[in-house]
Amino acid sequence: MKKKKLLSLLLVTSMFASLAAGCGSGSDTETGSKADGDVKEFTAFFAVPGSEINDDNEIQEKLAEITGAKCKETWLTGQTAEEAIGTLIAGGEYPDFIEGGNGSIQLYEAGALVALDDYLDDYPNIKEFFTEQEWDSLRQDDGHIYWIPQFSNIYGEEKECTHNDEAFWIQTRVLKWAGYPEVRTMDQYFDLIESYNEANPTMEDGTENIPYTILCDDWRYFCLENAPEFLDGYPNDGSVIVDPDTLTVIDYNTTDTAVAYFKKLNEEYQKGIVDPESFTQTYDEYISKLSTGRVLGMIDQWWDFAYTAGDAIKSAGLDAQGCNYVPLPITIDESVQNQWHNSGGVVNVSSGLAITTSCDDVEGALQFVNDLLGQECHDLRFWGVEGVDYEVDDDGMFYRTPEQRLNVADTAYKASHVCSYSYFPQWLGTSRDGKNAMKPDGQESEFFEGLADDVKECFEAYGVMTYVDMLGTQEAPGAWYPMYTYSSTMTTSTPGGTAWTKMGETKHEYLPKVVMASDFDSAWDEYMEAYEACDPDSFISEMQTELDRRMEEAAKYE
Amino acid sequence: MAIKKDNSKKAKASSINLATLKRQRSLLIWGGIITIYGFIFYYLPLFGWLTAFQNYKPKDGIFHSQFIGLEKFKMLFSDESFIRVIRNTLAMGVLNLVATFVMAIVFAILLNEIKNKAGKKVTQTISYLPHFLSWIIVTGILHDMLSGTGIINEVLVNLHIISQPINFFAHEGYFWPIVAFANVWKETGWNAIIYLSAITAIDPSLYEAAAIDGAGRWGKIKYVTLPGIKSTIIILLLMNVGNVLNAGFEIQYLLGNGLIQKVSQTIDIYVLKWGISQGDYSLGTAAGIFKSAVSIILILIANQIAKRNGEERLF
Repeated sequence: MKKKKLLSLLLVTSMFASLAAGCGSGSDTETGSKADGDVKEFTAFFAVPGSEINDDNEIQEKLAEITGAKCKETWLTGQTAEEAIGTLIAGGEYPDFIEGGNGSIQLYEAGALVALDDYLDDYPNIKEFFTEQEWDSLRQDDGHIYWIPQFSNIYGEEKECTHNDEAFWIQTRVLKWAGYPEVRTMDQYFDLIESYNEANPTMEDGTENIPYTILCDDWRYFCLENAPEFLDGYPNDGSVIVDPDTLTVIDYNTTDTAVAYFKKLNEEYQKGIVDPESFTQTYDEYISKLSTGRVLGMIDQWWDFAYTAGDAIKSAGLDAQGCNYVPLPITIDESVQNQWHNSGGVVNVSSGLAITTSCDDVEGALQFVNDLLGQECHDLRFWGVEGVDYEVDDDGMFYRTPEQRLNVADTAYKASHVCSYSYFPQWLGTSRDGKNAMKPDGQESEFFEGLADDVKECFEAYGVMTYVDMLGTQEAPGAWYPMYTYSSTMTTSTPGGTAWTKMGETKHEYLPKVVMASDFDSAWDEYMEAYEACDPDSFISEMQTELDRRMEEAAKYE
Repeated sequence: MAIKKDNSKKAKASSINLATLKRQRSLLIWGGIITIYGFIFYYLPLFGWLTAFQNYKPKDGIFHSQFIGLEKFKMLFSDESFIRVIRNTLAMGVLNLVATFVMAIVFAILLNEIKNKAGKKVTQTISYLPHFLSWIIVTGILHDMLSGTGIINEVLVNLHIISQPINFFAHEGYFWPIVAFANVWKETGWNAIIYLSAITAIDPSLYEAAAIDGAGRWGKIKYVTLPGIKSTIIILLLMNVGNVLNAGFEIQYLLGNGLIQKVSQTIDIYVLKWGISQGDYSLGTAAGIFKSAVSIILILIANQIAKRNGEERLF
């Protein structure tokens, strides 16, 4: 009995002791943060997938020293942007900063965002970010500006080496095997893949190749759906084709090229070239497939696979087998000029960084954004710390050592050290020093050094320097471009928006059916019947109205 | 005098009440807490049902949104896809109910017949472990197993039952059975626990008596075990009938794809799609109300049937 009492006494004392210790350390950190000089803490939610960084991230601390503020960023997990935003709106509480993606217009309609136009003049770095015309294009129907698109803004001379967009990709080993032939059309592309796969059905370790796969998971089904616009030589207007001469909107879903494209896919599916799991695989399954190096070719956006599967291929050493992807300038016919790559920044007016009504300190938040756009902060965000993440040579050019290059591809290092605030506004192009690129991707010397051997060899064989050169660059086609910034804000409150939603659902269901059908023609007719039932004309006519409006707006500035 | 008497009676009655109250104060306090809890979490949110009768805009809030009566309900029932999700939900709900229910009882009885105590315990423990897996894991396993290069296809091809791997998630016909199978796999062991405990409550002397009367194993199951757990079965069936429309959200959401969306979407997915993603909170609420109403009606009907047959019932 006595023993027990003693024991409990001991326990109680030790508990108090630990409590006291806990309190002690608590007050320690409090005084600690005060000594930092009141670092403001903001919160942000970005309705895109991303990875969180550590709370004690080193560059984040450095940025906090300069700007006096930091931001805790959270990202989308396992939901669509609209679902996440819809849930936030239903709850009525928001983080300080938000990027709503396709849900941006919902945030605006819910009155969740702060109008920014009255503040802009006080923040030179933000003001400088867009031209007056571009700022005006960001105004919503109440005449105010609510968000700042973060990307594709070019400072000074454009510096671009990577084709960040959509293309027909192919592994370098296929091209090498065929002696780096010129591949210009869809038929040539599939012929090449077919004959390669016949000659080399497996990888070096005996894993069977997957000649061609199609990602079709939810919103990522663009990998199946929008190729007809590119094949006809139009740029990525996304939801429609715009005829630049007549300025009319054309539906790319029903063109002859669309029929030819899906018929080709159907043939290849019957031959076993198209991965039979294409239409049922999830995005994760797709990425892990690509990461094994088994997939010879596919259509995708660079950003959708390069940072995941591309890095995995690199770290598994599969570049020695030629498993890296390069883009090909493919159209329906050799006479058609491709526009897979467009030069010039495109402002995606449909979403951007916004400040919510839950933010207590709008000025402070904008000051933070403004500071992050300053050159010193910008270099810290994208290049890192001088001497640690990059070196400067005698001419003032930034470069990385091989070790530094490996570091920035390492997820653990990224989480503890790198803080790019990647969904805050940022510059492409040339640094304010007039020499370096704003981001390492754009630094030509850095880009070449970082290239895998198989890609280097491939570029040399074609006599090109960069990914972009593989496709060639076209000027952005006109003031309307791109139309997807409008269609992605459409809601079911208009007939055109309803049609757009239904068209998406129908295509999601019937396009895979068309590709898998044993009788293409009847499957296509069935698809067209279902498609026409969605009333696509009302969508097209709303797009035409928007096109006309954009051209009128643009004419005011000429 | 009469009045006085009456008064004293009243006083007596109330003093008894007071005493009772005092005696049962802990019961009252706990009951009160539960009542408040129930009110806050179950009844207060029903206030939000108002939005189904409005053209609800988050900007205007529940007090300033435009009142539109039953228009959202009209929209719902004129929407072909809503009719389709009702069909899907009911079909999958009934399939799940029948499959998991029957399997759990069969499994419990089989388990009860095992003589080896250690074997019984191990089997039972293993069988209910899947219950603790989240659906995201279960759907991941299913996706792998049923993929073109998955174990099911490998086995079927190697046994020459099929010549080409079947793409299970590309055919509408497979989806409902897959969902039912997944539910059975995940929940059978867990659901069997309650039947097993009901079986242990059966008086052993009944089995002895049955044995004396010449009943074999099958006879004992038929005449002792099953009647012994009949009331448990009926109560659980009643409760589950109300859940038919909760045919699931995660599994259909995670396993479905564009190709088979016509059979894979349930009411919950519909609510998510229109209510949250498309921002039509009113339409989503209307669909939710419909689901609740149908569930209540189903429970009432099932309860009534049980009552008529003189069986156990909920109320």
